[in-house]
Amino acid sequence: MAEKNYYTIDPDGKLTCMKCGVRLEKGKAKFLYLDNGFPVELPVCPKCGFIYVPEELALGKVLSVEKALEDK
Amino acid sequence: MEIGKTMSVCPVCLARIPAVKTVGEDGNIYLEKKCWEHGPFRTLIWEGDLESYGNWASSDSNAAVTPVHAVVPEKGCPYDCGLCQNHERDGCCVLLELTNRCNLRCPVCFASAGEQKPHDLTLEEIGKQYDLLMERGGPFNIQLSGGEPTMRDDLDRIIALGREKGFSFFQLNTNGLRLAHEEGYAEHLAGAGVSTVFLQFDGLEDEIYRILRGAPLVQIKLRAIERCREAGLPVVLVPTVAPGVNDHALGNILRFALEHAPHVRGVHIQPISYFGRCGLEAPEIRLTIPAVLRRIEDQTGGLMKAADFGGGGAESPYCSFHASFLRKPDGTLKALPRRRSQCCCVKSSDARDFVSQQWSGKAACCDGDSDTASLDAFLQQTVENTFTVSGMVFQDAYNLDLDRLRRCYICEVDSEQGMVPFCAYNLTDIHGKALYRK
Repeated sequence: MAEKNYYTIDPDGKLTCMKCGVRLEKGKAKFLYLDNGFPVELPVCPKCGFIYVPEELALGKVLSVEKALEDK
Repeated sequence: MEIGKTMSVCPVCLARIPAVKTVGEDGNIYLEKKCWEHGPFRTLIWEGDLESYGNWASSDSNAAVTPVHAVVPEKGCPYDCGLCQNHERDGCCVLLELTNRCNLRCPVCFASAGEQKPHDLTLEEIGKQYDLLMERGGPFNIQLSGGEPTMRDDLDRIIALGREKGFSFFQLNTNGLRLAHEEGYAEHLAGAGVSTVFLQFDGLEDEIYRILRGAPLVQIKLRAIERCREAGLPVVLVPTVAPGVNDHALGNILRFALEHAPHVRGVHIQPISYFGRCGLEAPEIRLTIPAVLRRIEDQTGGLMKAADFGGGGAESPYCSFHASFLRKPDGTLKALPRRRSQCCCVKSSDARDFVSQQWSGKAACCDGDSDTASLDAFLQQTVENTFTVSGMVFQDAYNLDLDRLRRCYICEVDSEQGMVPFCAYNLTDIHGKALYRK
């Protein structure tokens, strides 16, 4: 099955929301995990609220935080 | 009552012999074996009942991992270490014995340091050992050991060479004398890239040091810790615990360590083993894991509880114990969930990463365009306030269990033998004759 895309990346590196066709803007978001909230700023679609989480962030700091909270 | 079978060795001739685990009349667990030539031997291995013994390994479900480039065994365990094809772990922490020189003459020393002709590995030999480790699954966490490694003046070059070869974690196993005595030495080591100092620290009473180390050392230890703090070098206190000598001192050591956190990252307890040079008598008197944990709970007034601890994940659970605590602002501790119960697949590489992060006090971070300061702050705070208490129960010719040995991931590197599990490398018969160590 083909992987579903939620965004496209311009040649200049800017991200566009696939659904709304508008550029993602740096916006406020919050990671919630085991009753802990972490306010961050990430690329967000101003129309539908889609949040882009870079892979290196998900597999890096976010995973580290999860491990620390869960000690998994 | 017999509860299990394994293989062990005769403490007199080191011949491999069958052994059984039994429940004694006192309810504790024993290892019993009989050498046809040298008679029967019975050693306490668990001061607790059968249920607690079984529960300690209840979540132990680690699959075997064959070492990289394992050697073909000829004589069988424990005579063909290198590591051999029957070993069930790859490496995690590897000791480099840089020198056999030492500036102490401890009545107890697994390496029997100072008894042989002085010998330092050359940089070329060290480079070859690094290469050997990379070929066999490295990079591993490196323990710069000895003898006393600070007897050498080229630790900076040894670490630089290790970095060139691809290693990134360098633990210095030291008695702290040079750190205490030499102005600027801690800064020098920090600049050279020492990740953490494993400081021999047997208590806060000079009498303990007189018995175990042959000299009163309390003030020297305190100065070494202070110098490391000033230099930003993380320290782990490492007590060798001998029954009747300093098993009463665990509470004081743990409280002292907590008072000196976060630059003191934790305490790593080593109940004494009867190999190498050991001036203490009565090897039948042993501190087993439950006995250590009971002392910790009693002597800290319940600040740390026996139930907070679990067995090792990568090694045999009966080789180690471990707990992590979060220091709260009011001085109390929150026990973090036990790692092993959360994960059924702790591999040596996981243990390596955990050891590396926990002992050096550095959070794993990555860069990005996004603003993730809250995650950074949390990670930093978690690392700084996490305090780890662990311990390893080394095996000797009396309590050696080859099932445990095959799961060992702490190795000594030997130019001729390759990677040899610590407890095999240091195994000696009752006369002090070693199986591997020259």
